[in-house]
Amino acid sequence: MSAHATSMRDALYEAPGPKTRRRTAIGTVVSLVLLAVGIFFAIRQFYITDQLNERYWSFLLEWTTWRFLLEGLWGTIQVAIVSGIISMLLGLLLMLGRIGHNKVLSVICRVLTDLFRSLPSLLLIYFFFLVIPKYGIRMPSFWMLTIPISLAASGVLAEVFRAGVNAVPKGQTEAAMSIGLTHGKIVRKIILPQALRIVIPSLVSQLVVVVKDTTVAYVVSFPDLMQNARVLISNYDALVSMYFVVAIIYILINYAINQLSIYLAHRSGNKIVTRASENPL
Amino acid sequence: MGVGDVIAEFGGVYVSSLLSTWLMTIICFLGGLALGVLVTVMRVSPIKPLRVVGDFYVQLFRNIPTISLLVIFVYALPYLGLLLDYRTCLIACIILVVSSFASENFMSGINAIGVGQIEAARSVGLSFVQIVRLIVIPQALRTTVLPMTNLLIATLLTTAIGSQVPLTPPELTGMVNYVNSRSVAGISAFVVSAICYAGTALVIGYLGNKLDKRVRIVR
Amino acid sequence: MAADNTAIIQMHHVDKHYGELHVLQDINLDVQKGEVVVLIGPSGSGKSTLCRTINRLETIDSGEILFEGKPLPEEGKELAAYRAEIGMVFQSFNLFAHKSILDNVTLGPREVLGTPKAEAEMEAMELLARVGVAEQAHKVPAQLSGGQQQRVAIARSLAMHPKAMLFDEPTSALDPEMINEVLEVMVELAQEGMTMVVVTHEMSFARRVSNRVVFMADGQIMEEGTPDEFFDHPKTERAKDFLDSIRGH
Repeated sequence: MSAHATSMRDALYEAPGPKTRRRTAIGTVVSLVLLAVGIFFAIRQFYITDQLNERYWSFLLEWTTWRFLLEGLWGTIQVAIVSGIISMLLGLLLMLGRIGHNKVLSVICRVLTDLFRSLPSLLLIYFFFLVIPKYGIRMPSFWMLTIPISLAASGVLAEVFRAGVNAVPKGQTEAAMSIGLTHGKIVRKIILPQALRIVIPSLVSQLVVVVKDTTVAYVVSFPDLMQNARVLISNYDALVSMYFVVAIIYILINYAINQLSIYLAHRSGNKIVTRASENPL
Repeated sequence: MGVGDVIAEFGGVYVSSLLSTWLMTIICFLGGLALGVLVTVMRVSPIKPLRVVGDFYVQLFRNIPTISLLVIFVYALPYLGLLLDYRTCLIACIILVVSSFASENFMSGINAIGVGQIEAARSVGLSFVQIVRLIVIPQALRTTVLPMTNLLIATLLTTAIGSQVPLTPPELTGMVNYVNSRSVAGISAFVVSAICYAGTALVIGYLGNKLDKRVRIVR
Repeated sequence: MAADNTAIIQMHHVDKHYGELHVLQDINLDVQKGEVVVLIGPSGSGKSTLCRTINRLETIDSGEILFEGKPLPEEGKELAAYRAEIGMVFQSFNLFAHKSILDNVTLGPREVLGTPKAEAEMEAMELLARVGVAEQAHKVPAQLSGGQQQRVAIARSLAMHPKAMLFDEPTSALDPEMINEVLEVMVELAQEGMTMVVVTHEMSFARRVSNRVVFMADGQIMEEGTPDEFFDHPKTERAKDFLDSIRGH
């Protein structure tokens, strides 16, 4: 066996002959020129609209700015972590209820899973923000944000867990049955530990969805990164620079989470299940 | 106010809200697919800068929260000399995000094909264009039915960020706000919107599964 | 053994590296029309790579490969047309997963040779019958056993009316009970005079069918000869060790 080029996108192409090499070289030069032109015009647009003026950027050199942003980021992280934990527990319960022997419970869990998966987290947030208070229930803004985000994520996570359980080889159950374990014990001692290990990378990648969901915290006036950025914008009158900086911070956080998930998947040899079904809100 | 009252009073607005949500979902999904194809072509092209730009594009738009992108479109772009109406901003943002996920789906569809089949196709004497047309695209499309179904549902749910900008008619999530600011609807407005979302998602999921069963490639 | 102009495949001083690794070292090999050449050797000896260079699935660093006296085309239409004349059978079958068995066989004739559908299908059915999988024509590859898939792969190659065929470990991925059904098809082909280059571990096939055995190790051709010469009187130590190791089990 020969040592192949690994990725499919390389495998699509032959080792180039002279004509192909020339064509590729021309394509490379042309695309580089187009790219440079594009970047030039983008920067030029910032310049001619005066958005490169240092008064829009200098506040980013001050520690107080970053302290305030970091406070917001801490809020984001708190919501994300608490939502992550709640949704994981809830997702696990939904999945266990669904695969369990109790028919009624199984149907209920299935309906709830499908329901949570098919509602926008924003709608759930409105439910906790607009609807619940009308019934006289008062709730801190942290929970008005965290609970709906957890609910929305729990549906997806239930499916992730189920994919993990399905990924455990059938022989494991059969072997456990042959040594006389009960259904409950098989699930607890044999299936779950393996399934959990399989889905770890997927759980991590779902954290991206949770982080994205937190960005509507301003709806319930919870001080997260985005909300604090809005405050800074009104203080410094530097909207464009602030929104771009915030976007970059979010992108870097989510990129890091995704890379971590890929790393974990690579290390354990597991695929990231249901990554495609994440809600890109 | 019960669900019946809400429908009696706001039924007309709800219908147009549901239709506009559906329309927006379809536009964003199809736009996202088209742009996703383009990005995927860049990512699999033999030209290095195009690949890098394509990969960068996908990382950018799959990691940015759509809200963060929306505020840039709605509030920041006018300062840079580009003033778009709210609906255009919304659709553009969702298309950008959807296209990055669509491209990821296409890429994993292509990756599932395997080097062996490409080599076999080459050995039979098929040209590059024939290989792409006869082997790569059909297989990539058929393996992406289920992920694309999920993406369509995700697109539907993502249109909920339309509630963050003024729209006439409001989309389904904005309706909760719309109804609650005009009467004491309580939970009913939420229930009606939730049913619309869940019902739509159910139908999409059902059709997607059916299509997948018909075209799935057994490996 | 000397190169002459009737050789259909000629390799002169072929070298290839994978990074540091010198996988093909000064390979000289001629294959006459109608000849069956078996390449054997330990894994990593470069035999698969050599086989794959003949239809340019692998490129070479230096030297030349000629087919019917002409150097291999490097790219484009000419390369595709050249490959259409050479059949290739892979270790992992590589059938097109989304096409029926029949469509796998007709795809090449219809798209490359422009054969009309009805004619291509008629011939494909004949070929499938010949390799014994005609009843499976409307199934998809995943529904067939490995042995059946490999026979379809051979039919797919034959449908192009190849002037020569390359077999890259065609039975290595098969369960033992399926090896023979594939070898039988190959034996039949050899007896009909097909020019074949076969990378294999099946010594019985090599002994029964081949005109020449080429033994490779560390990217070099260590020795070559008729099957009887090679198996009964190997000249090099490497070949003796190799033969001992496979007979030993």
